[in-house]
Order: sequence, then structure tokens, then C-alpha cells
Amino acid sequence: MERVVTINLNGNSYQLEEPAYDALRAYMTRAEAALADNPDKAEIVRDLEQAIADKCSAQLGSNKTVVNAAEMARILGEMGPVEGDTGEPGAQAEGAAPRSDDGARPTRRLYRIYDRGAWTGVSAGMAAYAGVDVDWVRVGWVLATIFTGGFTGLIYIAMVFVVPVASTSEELAAAHGAPFNAQEVIERAKREYATFTDNNAPRWRSEWRRQRRAWNDQMNSWRSSTNQRAAAAAPAQAGYVTRVFAGLGAFIFSVITAALLIAFLVAFFSLITTREILGWEPPLDAPFWMILVILGVVYAAVSSPFSALRKASFETVTGERDTNGSNGIATAAIVLIVGWFAWLYVPEARELMEQAYVVIRDFSNYVRDTWLTN
Amino acid sequence: MSTADEQFAGLRKGLLEFAILTIVSGRTVYVGDILATLAPTPFATQEGTLYPLLSKLRREEYVDYNWVESGQGPPRKYYQLTDKGSSRLDELSAYWRHLTATLEGLGR
Repeated sequence: MERVVTINLNGNSYQLEEPAYDALRAYMTRAEAALADNPDKAEIVRDLEQAIADKCSAQLGSNKTVVNAAEMARILGEMGPVEGDTGEPGAQAEGAAPRSDDGARPTRRLYRIYDRGAWTGVSAGMAAYAGVDVDWVRVGWVLATIFTGGFTGLIYIAMVFVVPVASTSEELAAAHGAPFNAQEVIERAKREYATFTDNNAPRWRSEWRRQRRAWNDQMNSWRSSTNQRAAAAAPAQAGYVTRVFAGLGAFIFSVITAALLIAFLVAFFSLITTREILGWEPPLDAPFWMILVILGVVYAAVSSPFSALRKASFETVTGERDTNGSNGIATAAIVLIVGWFAWLYVPEARELMEQAYVVIRDFSNYVRDTWLTN
Repeated sequence: MSTADEQFAGLRKGLLEFAILTIVSGRTVYVGDILATLAPTPFATQEGTLYPLLSKLRREEYVDYNWVESGQGPPRKYYQLTDKGSSRLDELSAYWRHLTATLEGLGR
């Protein structure tokens, strides 16, 4: 289901699905940029609009009133790229960045391009950014992963979180963007960091505070077993830099919550089986169940801020409200991958995991011996 | 065929103006006619290219257009050759014959 946008093409109204509208607007923007120096720009644009309107009419009938994205893509394909008549035959023929001096040139940004990606779109986005074939990028990833003993794979996973998905045609255009220019990139980074700290950071902070409140409300509603989803409008799609920071946050907070969960489980099992937590023996005068409750409360208190941050980050990244499913799966994947790396490269972590295995084995033995064999 | 189409794109681009003037010289046409006439030829083109080119030709006073009511839909621009365009076309034809004659002569 798509939202429908009604537009006016030379005095007649047409209804387009939203992606079709985005594609048309991107096409017209590019056309106007290509014709920027043309004295007859307004007339040509009107002619182009009329031609597109005629082609739209041909798609529509009494039973069909809306032009969809595929039809618009075909129409714009038939129209072909608009060429300025002042020369540079190759420049605009490839549908490349429109040339204009007023800074309308789209900034090049690294996006993930889902549609053209085999898996997550990271490689497709990098290929578009660098202007090389996507296969080279994929081969590069695989070789780098092999030669670095898997470390590059972790970078890839982090990029899946940090690099935003190009979801609108403007973002897709920006993914291919203007010619690479290091100075420009540095300038832009400075500018955007300043903008981010000026505008977005407070907004983002208040956003996660709000998320945190929503999360607490949700926990309360669960406790009272109404289990209602917090009904609120989805936060608007955030800007690029915000999404990068949010993606980074989603990755880091996922790792932290995962680590806390593992620590909690290890403590819980070891408490039940050996009556001590990693060598610390709780005071004997407190009842055993009380210590379990305290452990649970401590875990909830420590992990809930991180959970809220993680949730806020994910929601900022995806622009959607209810992402419990996807961020849960992502977290599980991170736990597995981080765990695997820790097992390979960090002896202490490996020891802890082996200990955890022993703890769980002891626990299962304890359960079997105590409750199942008498 | 397709390889020739790709390789000589620049050559055709330069000659597209010639092709359009030739079409317009025969009869009064609108953009749809020009596209349909060119479609089966190596000069096949698209609106995105044609509108800017026609506007350039009109600015240079080689062609002009009249609004003509069409049976269905809005009125269309029908293009015709001007006197200046007619002499331009003669010039181009003469130059083209000169070019091809020269090329054939070089081979001998």
C-alpha cells in the first residue's frame, strides 16, 4: 500500500504513488538543472511535463486512476535524460549529477542500496560511492576478511548498522553523487558536524528521553497485563548524520545490552548451582530467593537505560516505532558475532565462556538430580 | 549493428539536427511524429533530447511552430521549417554531399 500524491501537470491533475512522485520530481529537478542556462527553460520544462502527462494518461483508464512506480520508471525511461544544448554530450547522458553553479549539486554520501545489494546493500553503496563495479567491492570484502582473520567482517557488521539505507530517490542520487573531492568532503564533514551539534543533538537527546519514557510506560502497561502497544506517530525520518550516529549507537548499545544479558545469565545460573556469584558468596542470613530478586532488580536497573538507548537508536535509524522484532534479531546476531570474536581473540572471555558452559552444565545436572530423579 | 550504434553516438548526435530539419521540411509535424519517424532509424531519440533541441532550432529561427487543436488531449505544437531553416538545410545537404564525396575520394 502506497500513499498517493496528486500533482498538476500543465493544468491537469494526476495521481501518483509516492515513489513514482519522488522519481518524477527527481527527474524534473535534474532536467531543470540541465537546462539552467537555457533561455527557453520554462517552455521546455512545460513541454516535458506535457509529454509526461500524455504518457501518464496512456497508462490510466476508467479502472485505473493511479500511476505506480514501475510505470513512472518506464515513462521516465522513455523520456530519456534531458540534455542541455550547450554541449558536454557525455556528461548528462549518463543521468549523472546535474551541473549548476548555485550549489544544487547533490552531495555524495555513503548509503546502503538495498535493491542492488545481494544481502545488506553495503557493497552496492560503496560501489556507487566510489564509482566502481560492485563485484570488486565484494571480492575486496571477502579477501580482507580472510587476511585479517575475520576482523573486517566485524567492520562490515558495524557498517550495516551505521550506514543508512537510501530510501528516497534523492538519497539514491546522493549515493552516486558528485565527483569525489577530498577537500569538499572535509569541508562538508565540518559543516555537518557543526549543524549536527547545533540542531540535531538536542533533538536526538530529547528523542531518546521520550523513547525512554515510552518504554517505561510500555513496561508498566505490560505489568498491568494490558499489553497495549504505545500508540504514537512514528518519528520522522532523521537526517543523514543523525542516522549515522544513531546507527553507531544502535551497534554499541546492542553490544552492551547483550553483554549485560550474558553476565546476568551467568550470575543467575552460578548463584543457583553454587550459591555464589563468580567467587562472591552472598551473606547467609538473607533468604536465597531474596538474593535472586535483588539480582534481577539490579540487572533491570543497570540494563534498562541501555535498552532504552538501543531502542531509541534503532527507531531513529529505521524511522519506525515498533522495531522490537528486528532489533531483537540484530542483537542476537551481534551477540553471536561478538561472542565468536571474543572466543577467538580474548583469552579471558574464552575462559568466562567455558566457565559459563560449566555453570550451565552444573545447573542442568542440578535440576536433573534434584527434581527429576527422586 | 548495436556496436556501431554505440561507437558512433557522437557522430549521430551531430547529425540529429540535420535529420530533424529534414523531417520538418517535408511536412508540418508535432513531436510525436518526429519521434515515430526517427524510432526505426539509427537516429532514434527521446523527448528528453528532442525538446531542448527543438527549442534551440526555434531560437535560431530554423523552425517555428503553431498551436493546433488535437482531437483528444491538449493542443499540440506543430513545427514547420522557416525560410532561414530551409536555406540552412540546403547548406547542410550540400556540406554533407561534400563530406561523403571527399570520404569516397580518399579511398581511391
